[in-house]
Amino acid sequence: MVQLNNEAREIAVKVVYYGPALSGKTTNLQALYQKIDPAVRGRLMTLDTKDDRTLFFDMLPVFFRTASGLKVKLKLYTVPGQVIHESTRRIVLQGTDAIAFVADSRRSEAASTLAYWNNMLKNLEANGLDYRTLPIVIQLNKMDLPETRREGEFEDLRRVVQPPMVPAVAIRGEGVVETLWALLTVCYRSLDRNLGLETRWRISEQEFLSRIFDHVDKRGTSLAQEAAPR
Amino acid sequence: MTLAPSFLQQRLPLGDLLDLRAFSDVCQSFAELYRVGLKVFDEAGNKLVDVKVGNADFCGYIWTKASGREQCVATVGRVKSDDVGEAAAPTTVRCFSGCRYVVQPVLYEGDALGRVVFGPFVPEELAALPDTLTSIAPDFDVAQASGYMQKIRRVPQGTAEKILKHFMDLVDVMVFTGHKNLISARLHIEAVQESYRELQDKNRQLEESYAKLKELDRLKSNFLATMSHELRTPLTSVIGYSEMMLEGLGGPLTAEQREYLGIIMEKGENLLQLITSILDISKIEAGRVRLVLSDVDVAQLLKDAVATVLPIARKKGLKVACEPGAAPRLQGDREKLRQCLVNLASNAVKFTPAGGTLTVSAEALPGERVALKVTDTGIGIAEEHLPRLFDVFYQVDGSTTREYGGAGLGLAIVKSFADAHGGEVTVVSRPGVGSTFSLVLPSRPRTEPAVTPVMPSSPVG
Repeated sequence: MVQLNNEAREIAVKVVYYGPALSGKTTNLQALYQKIDPAVRGRLMTLDTKDDRTLFFDMLPVFFRTASGLKVKLKLYTVPGQVIHESTRRIVLQGTDAIAFVADSRRSEAASTLAYWNNMLKNLEANGLDYRTLPIVIQLNKMDLPETRREGEFEDLRRVVQPPMVPAVAIRGEGVVETLWALLTVCYRSLDRNLGLETRWRISEQEFLSRIFDHVDKRGTSLAQEAAPR
Repeated sequence: MTLAPSFLQQRLPLGDLLDLRAFSDVCQSFAELYRVGLKVFDEAGNKLVDVKVGNADFCGYIWTKASGREQCVATVGRVKSDDVGEAAAPTTVRCFSGCRYVVQPVLYEGDALGRVVFGPFVPEELAALPDTLTSIAPDFDVAQASGYMQKIRRVPQGTAEKILKHFMDLVDVMVFTGHKNLISARLHIEAVQESYRELQDKNRQLEESYAKLKELDRLKSNFLATMSHELRTPLTSVIGYSEMMLEGLGGPLTAEQREYLGIIMEKGENLLQLITSILDISKIEAGRVRLVLSDVDVAQLLKDAVATVLPIARKKGLKVACEPGAAPRLQGDREKLRQCLVNLASNAVKFTPAGGTLTVSAEALPGERVALKVTDTGIGIAEEHLPRLFDVFYQVDGSTTREYGGAGLGLAIVKSFADAHGGEVTVVSRPGVGSTFSLVLPSRPRTEPAVTPVMPSSPVG
């Protein structure tokens, strides 16, 4: 699904933040917008309604050029939780390369989160995407609230596929960078399988990630040490 | 499954992201403010905006010399197509005339969508016209050229770069806004198209089920017409032979046998009437009712109707009054009008308790119309039932069937016959007090000896 333009030597990667209404997808993108150096990202585009709920989607472009001269353009999208128009979801989902599922971790939301998760799998399939091979990461958001499930308690979401899970408090920017890191790690591996990033384009996983995360404010994240050796 | 790449992934030319007319205005006023020319090219090298400030005379003079012309074209070519990379820093292009341009790519989402060319301007440090210019022709007039150059703004390189940076910020916002509006508009269009598709689907489904229902309704009417006809034939024999036996054609009868035969005959007549009503309704629904028009004696019509219901009314202990009034003249189908009155009067009898009164009357109305009325002091009809009262098979209360009998066809027939005459049937009723049904007919039906195309508003299915 990834768009590879051989002539222009660039690939366009589509990353989608998916999840129930009010689970914090837009908040994720806003936090990333704050933390990523403007040198590698564009403006955050939000197509919202007057009451600040996402009507169509948000979009944050991130881009870099590798040492081998390939330009990588990542576009991070959110799919609105409450889809007024099914077509919006289809347009955004079409050709997705990776998905971050943002879950509200509160116990009270468990049932609706599961329903939404299953609905997402169905939607992906309907849009011609195979969720068994698609890179997916689950963000366990709102961990600061009382009555939240702990990390081992999300097995209901892992029956069909077993994506990595990242705890977060997106509103405070916690776990947001880690989520993107986890997502781009699985995303790189999937792109590498499909396009031969390593062999054909001589882009290692480490380079791929550092091209972005060297420009990300990692203070207070678990990546502060990990990304240091370069 | 292959999908066309979404428009979200498409790379758009700069010209599509900007409103070029408004953008030109901005460039114009910006160039005038700083008194330096401004050009904007898209990725393919198309010139979108070109504002010249102050250099027309200078460049015009150079253009008069063949070598000047040649080198000018080369410079413009470099300004337009030299690789300026994707760096955010400006590139300086030096003109052989000593002037300079600063060039910067328009970067959006990491892509170079085009370039902005700011200039020509004269660098602050330029003291005299350079040799590269003065040597382009032997007759080059240095004084005149220097004079023309005065009209071009002299500005330090650093300042020019700052001005350009400032302009690039503006362009960035405009491109972003344009892109956002474009996406928003595309999504709205997509959403509307989606809604339209959904509506079309629904419409098609509705049309299909409507066609199916209509076909079912037609089949039902056909079935009713056929069946009632088939039922009538043997029933006539049952009644006929009973009558013959009663008349003693089969030999003498005991009193008991006579009584039983009487009951058989009476119930047979009831059944025949019911079947006839069904046949009438199916004829009406099939649009096969024909009116046989003639002058109708209204007084006689009322008397006939009263005479028909009188025996049962008496049996129930009701008073029956016939008030033909001024007995206005009326043209219509006598038999159908009689049936209307009988239906209304039978209903009145049915729904009026013992001791009540039933009045059948006629009245001339303004506008060449005649009202035939049946008034009772019966149980009345609650208001919420009135709108559906004349529907086929409709009964005010399903349970009343048990108490009062009937098939729910009487009033539907009355309405259809009234419609066929170009008239109408109305009702005024108060529960517990009584009802008045009025059959209002034109004195002369406007139609030719008419076929009624009127379908009663029948419940479907």
